[in-house]
Amino acid sequence: MTHSISLEHITVSLGGEKILSDVSLDLRPGEFLGVIGPNGAGKSTLFRVILGLVEPQEGIVRLMGPQGRPATPSQIGYVPQSRQLDAETPITVFDFVSLALPHKYRPWLTRRDKEAVREALRLTQSGHLAGKSIGRLSGGERQRVYLAQALVRGPGILMLDEPTSNLDPGAQEKMAAVVHRVCREKGIAVLFISHDVNLIAQYADRILYLTRGHYAVGTVEEVIRPDVLSPLYGTNVRVEHRGARLTVLTDPADRVPICYHEPAGAKR
Amino acid sequence: MFQYDFMQNAFIAGTAVAVMCGMVGVFVMARGLSFIAHTFSHIGFSGASFAVLAGWDPFYGLVLFTLASAVAIGRLGVRFFRRDASISVILSLFLGLGILFLHLSAKQASFVSSILFGSVVGISGRDVWQIAGLSVLVLLALALGYRMLKFDSFDPAGAQAAGLPVAAISAGFLVLMSIAVAEAVQIVGALLVFTLMTIPASSARCLTHSVFSMLIVSAALAAAGVWIGLVLAYYTNWPASFFITSVEALIYFIALGLQQARERRPA
Repeated sequence: MTHSISLEHITVSLGGEKILSDVSLDLRPGEFLGVIGPNGAGKSTLFRVILGLVEPQEGIVRLMGPQGRPATPSQIGYVPQSRQLDAETPITVFDFVSLALPHKYRPWLTRRDKEAVREALRLTQSGHLAGKSIGRLSGGERQRVYLAQALVRGPGILMLDEPTSNLDPGAQEKMAAVVHRVCREKGIAVLFISHDVNLIAQYADRILYLTRGHYAVGTVEEVIRPDVLSPLYGTNVRVEHRGARLTVLTDPADRVPICYHEPAGAKR
Repeated sequence: MFQYDFMQNAFIAGTAVAVMCGMVGVFVMARGLSFIAHTFSHIGFSGASFAVLAGWDPFYGLVLFTLASAVAIGRLGVRFFRRDASISVILSLFLGLGILFLHLSAKQASFVSSILFGSVVGISGRDVWQIAGLSVLVLLALALGYRMLKFDSFDPAGAQAAGLPVAAISAGFLVLMSIAVAEAVQIVGALLVFTLMTIPASSARCLTHSVFSMLIVSAALAAAGVWIGLVLAYYTNWPASFFITSVEALIYFIALGLQQARERRPA
């Protein structure tokens, strides 16, 4: 429970278009923060700002380490959204995770390095995959191995960009559960982008709901409400509860629903 | 056969270049740069022709032109060169220039054939040490950059996410590759650079499961092809390049067959 992020009045325009407008946000130490919002809302841009890859026109990004000391983006474990790996990539899962070990020049691995890789695999429930070829894994296994790779450097903050898209419902559930466990067991603060509000609702302490130019932060109960979401979309929004499931729809009902909030596992 | 200096030279230079190209080739394949390597060799041909026109050692022209193009691509970004159109334009342009330089220098056909098809048996004692020294330098650079290069080549998105200096890695590797190409041209010729840069690495990929063993196997296969090719060339008097290429190709098809047989076998 050591690292945290503080964003103050972040405004970003890319190519003349305003992507983020006056976003202020604290990611507390050890907190699991879910990030949801439509495509193009600026979720990935927000990540790039935190990683220092995009300079905001206005506002300040503060990364803090133990005892409030300033931290650098190198202490963030980042799992990007898209990854193209050749199915024939001749690398085992163990070697793949070891790629991200922090030493830059020493070509061989020490006993400590190997221990770090094994620990990252254990945390992500991927220990049994260690000897397998990375190209031969299922989508869910791959995402967990990517997570292991981000964890092997011992980060204080984890940022995952849609780690559950393209996964079947069972694998989505498992991925989110694994991230949640890492967050609790290691006290690592987590930013988790997802399109599935129900998945996030189960695990996140709070959510950040982003639309282009607007946002809301709070617990699921505080944010997934018509009076909070309607201003974000600039139109009336309905929230339906079907049992424990939440569905967010724009009103009137004959318009296209905000489908990314349809629970991915309607048949679950 | 080893009582002849020219065969000794051919073996030493051939081995040095094969080991180096075999290892560099693993990363060339992983980074999808094989056709850029091929283009480099044509630019190198043009450079060698230019050197002849200017009265220099052709090797300097080769290295100068390939290095200059590596720096240029580093500037423009590899993406520009990934386009098929860009590659074919540059490749043709430099082949054309090479022909012009040769015409102006009125050099005879033997030079043309040695630069296009290789002249491993014609390497002088002085050249051998130059080639071997350069190979060692490239291998040292490869060892130093191994960790970062491996990460960026086999998992580029991960390397970028981990904050590695990916642009510098890409540019640095292009420089190493340009030197490797210039050396390979000496052994197998500009038209057959694939022989040492891509075939052994592709064979190794079928046979191994880790990057490190791929490097070792690729280097070994490249060297084996050169040795067998030289011996066959010595006894038949046919061109060494022909034999080296054939042996490497044969190894590749065997490796591919082995891989497919392994996959078909029920686990």
